[in-house]
Amino acid sequence: MDLGYGQDREQRMMRDRVQTRWQSAYAPVRHLDPVLVLTALALTGIGLVAIYSAKHVALSSQDLPTTLYVTRQLIAMIIGIVAMVVAAVVDYRHIRTYAPVLYAIGLVLLVLTLTPLGTEINGSQRWLVLGGFQLQPSELVKLAVLVSIAAILHESQGKPHIGFITLSLAITLVPTGLVFLQPDLGTSVVFIWLTAVLFLIGGVQVRYLVGLLAAGVGAIVAAFQAGLIEAYQLSRLTAFVNAGDASAAQTAAFQTRQSLIAVGSGQFAGKGLLEGTQTSLSYVPENHTDFVFTVIAEELGFLGASLVLGLFLILVWRGLRIAILSKDLFGTLVASGVVAVLTLQVFVNVGMTVGIMPVTGLPLPFISYGGTSLIVWFAMVGLLLNVHMRRF
Amino acid sequence: MASSDSSPILRLTFLAVLAIALFVALFARLWFLQVLAGDRFVELADSNRLRTVVSEAPRGAILSSDGEELVRNRPALTISADRQALLGSDGAPRDAEAERVIERIAELLELDTAEVIDRLGSQRRSPFRAVPIEIDVPPELVFTIREQQELFFGVETESLPVREYPQGTLASHVVGYVGEISQDELLDPEYTDYLGGDLIGRSGLEQSYEADLRGAAGRRLLVVNAREHVLDVQSDRPPVPGNDLRTTIDSELQEATERLLADGIEASRSIERDDGQLLPSTAGSAVVLDARSGAILAMASWPDYDPREFVGGVGPDYFEFLQDPESERPLVNRALTGSYPPGSVFKHASGAAMVEAGVIGPRGTRDCDAQFELGGNTFRNWNRGVNEGPMDLSDALKRSCDTYFYALAYENWVRENADDGSEEALTEVGQRFGFGRTLDVDLPSESPGRVPGRQWREEYWLESRDRYCSQAEAAEQGSLEEELLSDLCQFGGVWRGGDAVNSSIGQGDVMATPLQVAASYQAVANDGVLMRPHVGSQVVSPDGEVVREIEPEPLGELGLDEETTAAIREGLERVLMESDGTGSSAFSGFPLDEIPVAGKTGTAESPPRVPYAWFAAYAPADEPEIVVAVNVEQGGGGSQTAAPIVRNIMEHHFGIVDADDAEFEAGEEILD
Repeated sequence: MDLGYGQDREQRMMRDRVQTRWQSAYAPVRHLDPVLVLTALALTGIGLVAIYSAKHVALSSQDLPTTLYVTRQLIAMIIGIVAMVVAAVVDYRHIRTYAPVLYAIGLVLLVLTLTPLGTEINGSQRWLVLGGFQLQPSELVKLAVLVSIAAILHESQGKPHIGFITLSLAITLVPTGLVFLQPDLGTSVVFIWLTAVLFLIGGVQVRYLVGLLAAGVGAIVAAFQAGLIEAYQLSRLTAFVNAGDASAAQTAAFQTRQSLIAVGSGQFAGKGLLEGTQTSLSYVPENHTDFVFTVIAEELGFLGASLVLGLFLILVWRGLRIAILSKDLFGTLVASGVVAVLTLQVFVNVGMTVGIMPVTGLPLPFISYGGTSLIVWFAMVGLLLNVHMRRF
Repeated sequence: MASSDSSPILRLTFLAVLAIALFVALFARLWFLQVLAGDRFVELADSNRLRTVVSEAPRGAILSSDGEELVRNRPALTISADRQALLGSDGAPRDAEAERVIERIAELLELDTAEVIDRLGSQRRSPFRAVPIEIDVPPELVFTIREQQELFFGVETESLPVREYPQGTLASHVVGYVGEISQDELLDPEYTDYLGGDLIGRSGLEQSYEADLRGAAGRRLLVVNAREHVLDVQSDRPPVPGNDLRTTIDSELQEATERLLADGIEASRSIERDDGQLLPSTAGSAVVLDARSGAILAMASWPDYDPREFVGGVGPDYFEFLQDPESERPLVNRALTGSYPPGSVFKHASGAAMVEAGVIGPRGTRDCDAQFELGGNTFRNWNRGVNEGPMDLSDALKRSCDTYFYALAYENWVRENADDGSEEALTEVGQRFGFGRTLDVDLPSESPGRVPGRQWREEYWLESRDRYCSQAEAAEQGSLEEELLSDLCQFGGVWRGGDAVNSSIGQGDVMATPLQVAASYQAVANDGVLMRPHVGSQVVSPDGEVVREIEPEPLGELGLDEETTAAIREGLERVLMESDGTGSSAFSGFPLDEIPVAGKTGTAESPPRVPYAWFAAYAPADEPEIVVAVNVEQGGGGSQTAAPIVRNIMEHHFGIVDADDAEFEAGEEILD
C-alpha cells in the first residue's frame, strides 16, 4: 500500500493525539482522590464545630472571644491544606530521598522540647514555642519515622535482611525513647505500632516479627523484674494527664467518669448542638483537645458519633485502596502506615472517652484542637494523594 | 502494586481486618453507652449539674389565749460544715488540710476533734445542707471564722431558726419540745417529706400540731458547673412558714397554777403525818378546765423541765439530770400521762353508777357503818370507828362514806351476777364520766386509765394465767404466797364481790389521770355534758388569717336523771359548804357565800407508799366557770394537801388572793 504524505501526517497526528490523551490521562493532577480530601475536610469541619461548642461558654465567661480556638484551628487548617498540597505535588520518590533529612530535623526538634526551650503543659513537656506558634515536634517525627522506615524497607525490596530491620528499629526507638521522657506514653505507643505495621507490610519474615514481639514482651517483664519500672511509675504513666495537678477534678478517674456520662447521656439522637450540659458546664476536662469526641457524642448522640467514626472508616478504606494500587512498595508502605496510625489514634482516643482504653494524651485526628496535629494529618493525606496520583 | 507477590496483599488484608475489628468495637461500645444504657447516664448528667438547696421553714409559734408567745423562733448563729469537703467516704478527715480545719473548729468550740468528726459525720443529716456542728454560738466565733475563711475551708456560718421560749419554762409540758428526726423515722413512709436534720415535735403541742406548725421547707434547684459555680436557678420554691397555734392556755392562770402547785407541794413536805414522818409529796399535777367548753386553761406538772435545754440538742449534764430517778421524771406530763388510783374523787361516778343500775334511788339511804364485812374480809370506812347513821348519795359524798358505796357495790355485784353479768354498771357509767377511756385530748401520751369489771378481769387473767400458775408452782409449798398465786392461777378470772367493793371507792384496779378526774367534774358542772378537753383553739397563718378553728365538742353525756345529778351536785357542794364536809377545812375563810364551790376530796391508797392526795372542784357551784383538779403523789390526805392548792388556784382565778400573796395552809388530815 502506498502511503501518501497526507495519510502519513494524519496517522502521525492521530498517534500524537492518542499519546497526548494517554499522557494527560496519566497526569498526576487528574488522579486526585476527591473522596479522601472531602472526608478529611468534613472531619475538620466537624472538629471546628465541636471545639466551638466545647469552649464558647468558658471563653465568654472569661471575656474572651468565643471563636478564639476556632480561629486558631482554622489558621492551622489553612496551613494544613498548604502542607497537603506540598506533600502531594512533590513526587514521593523524591521525598524518599530526603527521608534522612526530615528525620534529622524532627529528631533535633524533639530533643529541644526536653531542653529549657520546651514548654510544659499539664506536666508533660511536649511543645516548642516558635514565634507565638506552639509546635508539637512529636507529631512531625511521626511523619519522619513513617517515611524513613518505609524508605529503608523499600530499599530491601520486600525481603529485608537483619541489617535493615536493625536500622529501622534504631530509627524508631530513638524518638520513642525521647517522647517517652516527655512523658507521652500514647505517642510512644504510636511509634511502636507504626513500626510493627510497616514491618508486617514491608515483608519482614514472620519469624522476625514473632521474635521481636517476644523480645518486646521479654524486655517489659525484665524491666519489672529488675525493678526498673515500679508499679507506681506505671500508674503514673497511665494517668499522666493529671501529673502535677493532684486536685480531685483532674484525676483520670474523674475524667473517665465524666466522659462516660457525657457520651451516654447523648443517647441516640443527642441533646442538640450547643445543648450538652456536660460539655457547656465544663464537667469533661480537656473537651476541646483529647476529649473532643465527648462533645460530638453528647450533643449529636449515637448518630453523630457514628457519622464521625464512619468518616474515619472512609479514610481507612481510601488509604488501604491506595496502598493496594500503589506502583511500588514505598507507596504501599506509606499508605498503610498512615492507615495504621489513623486507626490506632482513633481507637485509643475514642476508646478512652468510652472507657475501654486508659487515659492517654492522644488527640483525635482532624478533630482535636491542636495545630501541629492537624497540619501533620493534612500532610499525611497529601502523602496518600501523592501515592494515589502516581500509581501508574 | 508493582510486586506480583501476593504476600503484601495478604498482609494488607490482615491490617484491614484489624482496623475494622477496632472500629466495630467502638461502634458496639457506643451503642451500649448511648442507646442501651443512655437513660442512666442522663440521670447522672442531671445529678451532676443540679443541686438542691433546702432552706428551713420557720416553725409556727404557740400562743396563749391572751396572746403571749409560749414558744417562737429565734435566729441562732450556727457553725456548720460541708461534710463532703471535710470527710472522706470512710468518715475520717479526707486529707491533711481537712484534718487541720477540723482541729481548728474543735479548738474554737472547745470540743474534742473526735466529737467534731462525730457531729459532722452524723448520718441523720441530709446531704443537701451543711451539717451544723454547734448551734447558737456567740457572734465572736462567727467573726473569727469569717475573718479567716481561708483557715476554715468548708466551714460555713449561718443563721438557723431555733425554738425560743419567751416565757421560760411556762407550760413546758403543754408546749412540748422539738428534736431532730430519727433515722428510723426517716425510713418510715409516714415521714417521706422530712429530711435528715429536720426538727420534729417530740412532745406536747409541738408533737400533736406538728403538721400545722411545721410549714414546708423551701427548695431551690440550682444549675452548677464543674467548679460548683451557680449558673442558673432552675426552680425555686420558697419556704412556707408554719402556722401559729393559739391555745386555750391562759398564761397568767397557767403561771399561777404552776407556782401554786409547786409551792403547795413544797410546803406540804413540812406536814407531819400520824406516824411522825413528814409527807414526801414527791410530785404532782394540776388541771384547770373551762367548765363549759372543756378548754384546758392551765395544766401543770411538777417537777417540770426547761425546754430551753433542748435547743440544739440536750447536753450531757441535763440529760443525766433527766435520767436521774431522784429527778422524778420531769419530762412526764403527769396531768394526762400519770395514771393513779383515784380514790374518793371517783365516788361521784361510782354513786351515779349505782343509781343507774337501779340498786338505790338518788335519795335512798344506806347505813354509813364503820366497816363492811364480806366473806371473812373487813372493809373499813376511812373514819375508823363510829357508825355515822343512814346516808343518801348527797350525804355519802359530803362525808366520803366508804361503807355506803361498799354496800351498794356488793348489792349490785350480786344483781349483776344473777343477770349473767353482761351488764357492768360501774364500767359503763364510769366511761360516761370519762374514766377508762382516752378523752381524745389534743396532746400526746394520754393514758386511758381503767375502770375494771368482769370482762376486764377475765381478759387480764387469760393473759397472765400462765405466769401465775408457774409462779405458784415455784413458790414454797404451803406458804401464803403459794396460796395466793394458786388461787389466782385457778380463779383469777373471777370478778369477786371484794373487787366490786374496792372499785366502788376508786381503789383496787381503778386507775385515772388528773385530766380524767377534771373532765368528770366538768361533765357534772356542765349539766351532764362531757366536753373534749382541748388546748388548741385556732390555727393562724403567719399573716394573721385564721386557718382553722378548733371548736369545743361534746364527747358524750352522763345521761343521769335530773334528780341524780342534783343529788351529786348537792353532795359535792356540801363537801365544802358544810363544816363536816371532808373539804371544808381547806376552804375555811374562802368566801363561799359569794363564790360557792363544789368539790371532792380523795386519798388514794397505794401501799407501801404514802397515799396520793386528790382534790377536784368546780366553781361557782351554781354557775360553774372553772374546774380544777390537783393530784399530789404521796401527798397524804386530799383535804390536807391537794384541796389547799385547789383553793389557792381558785382564789387567784376569782381575784380573791393573788398567787403572789398566796399561802399554803394545809387542811385537816382526812384520809378518805
